[in-house]
Amino acid sequence: MSMKWLNFKMLLVGISLLYTFPLTAQSTIVDIGPKDTLYNSDYQYRLDKYQRQWNRLIPMHTVFQYAGGMGLISVGAGWTYGKNKQWETDVLFGYIPKYSSDKIKITMTLKQNYIPWKVPLKHNWTLEPLECGLYFNTVFSDEFWTSEPDRYPKGYYGFSTRVRTHIFVGQRIRMNIPEKYRKLAKSITAFYEISSCDLYIVSAFTNHLKLDDYLRLSFGLKFQIF
Amino acid sequence: MRTDFFLLHLFLLLFFSGCDMFEAHPYDAYVRGEKNINEKQIAKLEEQLKDASTFRFAFISDTQRWYDETEDVVKHINAREDVDFVVHGGDISDFGATHEFTMQRDILHNFTMPWVTLLGNHDCLGTGEHVYKEIFGNPNFSFQAGNTLFICLNTNALEYDYSEPVPDFEFLENLMTELPEHIKRTIVVMHAPPFDSVFNNNVAKVFQMYLKNFPGLMFCLHGHLHQYTVSDLFQDGILYFQTPNVGKRSYLLFTINEEGYEYEVVEF
Repeated sequence: MSMKWLNFKMLLVGISLLYTFPLTAQSTIVDIGPKDTLYNSDYQYRLDKYQRQWNRLIPMHTVFQYAGGMGLISVGAGWTYGKNKQWETDVLFGYIPKYSSDKIKITMTLKQNYIPWKVPLKHNWTLEPLECGLYFNTVFSDEFWTSEPDRYPKGYYGFSTRVRTHIFVGQRIRMNIPEKYRKLAKSITAFYEISSCDLYIVSAFTNHLKLDDYLRLSFGLKFQIF
Repeated sequence: MRTDFFLLHLFLLLFFSGCDMFEAHPYDAYVRGEKNINEKQIAKLEEQLKDASTFRFAFISDTQRWYDETEDVVKHINAREDVDFVVHGGDISDFGATHEFTMQRDILHNFTMPWVTLLGNHDCLGTGEHVYKEIFGNPNFSFQAGNTLFICLNTNALEYDYSEPVPDFEFLENLMTELPEHIKRTIVVMHAPPFDSVFNNNVAKVFQMYLKNFPGLMFCLHGHLHQYTVSDLFQDGILYFQTPNVGKRSYLLFTINEEGYEYEVVEF
């Protein structure tokens, strides 16, 4: 019972966070002049404003990602913002196959990307030599908990099996699609990321581990719709 | 153009060299490498000690997230050349994450003698128990060293929240009815001891009664509390020996002979 509620809470927190990111980061709404010169009625003015506000919540890109601790395959949508479009916020849903466990699992990821530089290459290509950021992942399955169930003595394990924090660095290359060829996207970005999660980082700190014991690789594609 | 080529090259290199680095999730329960280890190791062990009346075994436990120390203990026990087998008391993972199990397995696999591993409470977290079962087998198992029976039990009742019988008395009953005649002595190994918060303490005394029904119960072994202790838990003369976690850089070494047993705490 409490597990289901926690799932739901996580979802709510995730979604509300997502909505606040683009709203706070983008410049203020463009206000089109005095309303009486452009609009026939107050109603028209308010309707237009209302629609413009909600339109800004339409995701600007879609993402497909392979591996990276957020599912074998993840599919998501996100927003591009910032003066130089250096910020991105994505929300992804991933799928973990059953493997040796007893069921397949769905995960949700909230991901924040920072892309500080863009290097124009020949033709329609742009290199993004560094991408970095972090993401939070949660699993929808009752074998995981966010905080320990009541049966345990307080603070027995002291960590969440459900929520993982990952940090990553990566690189991306973007191909702008010339206008005459555009169908659904104006550009396609391919990327790879090297990441690690909280559990692996604490393990690596106190031991002499090999790189591939705590670093994870993933790659993906981003389709910029507008 | 050269940058393109370089990036493509890097991309392909990462793709083909780092297949193990693609992971669906830390708890994905995707097990690479060897599985069902306890059964294979027990077959070797029972064959080697078929007619032995004297043997020596090391008892290590709680190796979770002490990878360096686990490597050291394996090297140390191998170098002794007088240990017949090794029993691991459980908690090979700290978080129940899949890769923790495979990393520990790959270190422990360097033992030159047979080794078996019990299920610890940390090993039950997330999908950990599924991974344990895949890599090691059933959490309740037994094996014979000469005329001595070893019973290895899952005692992590708290992890199951009464959804499964822990400890499993049916397993003990079946073992008792199928007991070979040559068994004269019994040693019981578990991760969490009776009266610990992880144990089902409502049945602690019943548990002890069941154990004492086995022929010549010598002593019990456990880990879990990360320290060396010897306690007569039920005030009935049956000693419970606790081996420290591997991070304390020590383990218990037992020598079983016809008269009885000797033990020592070995530091490495």
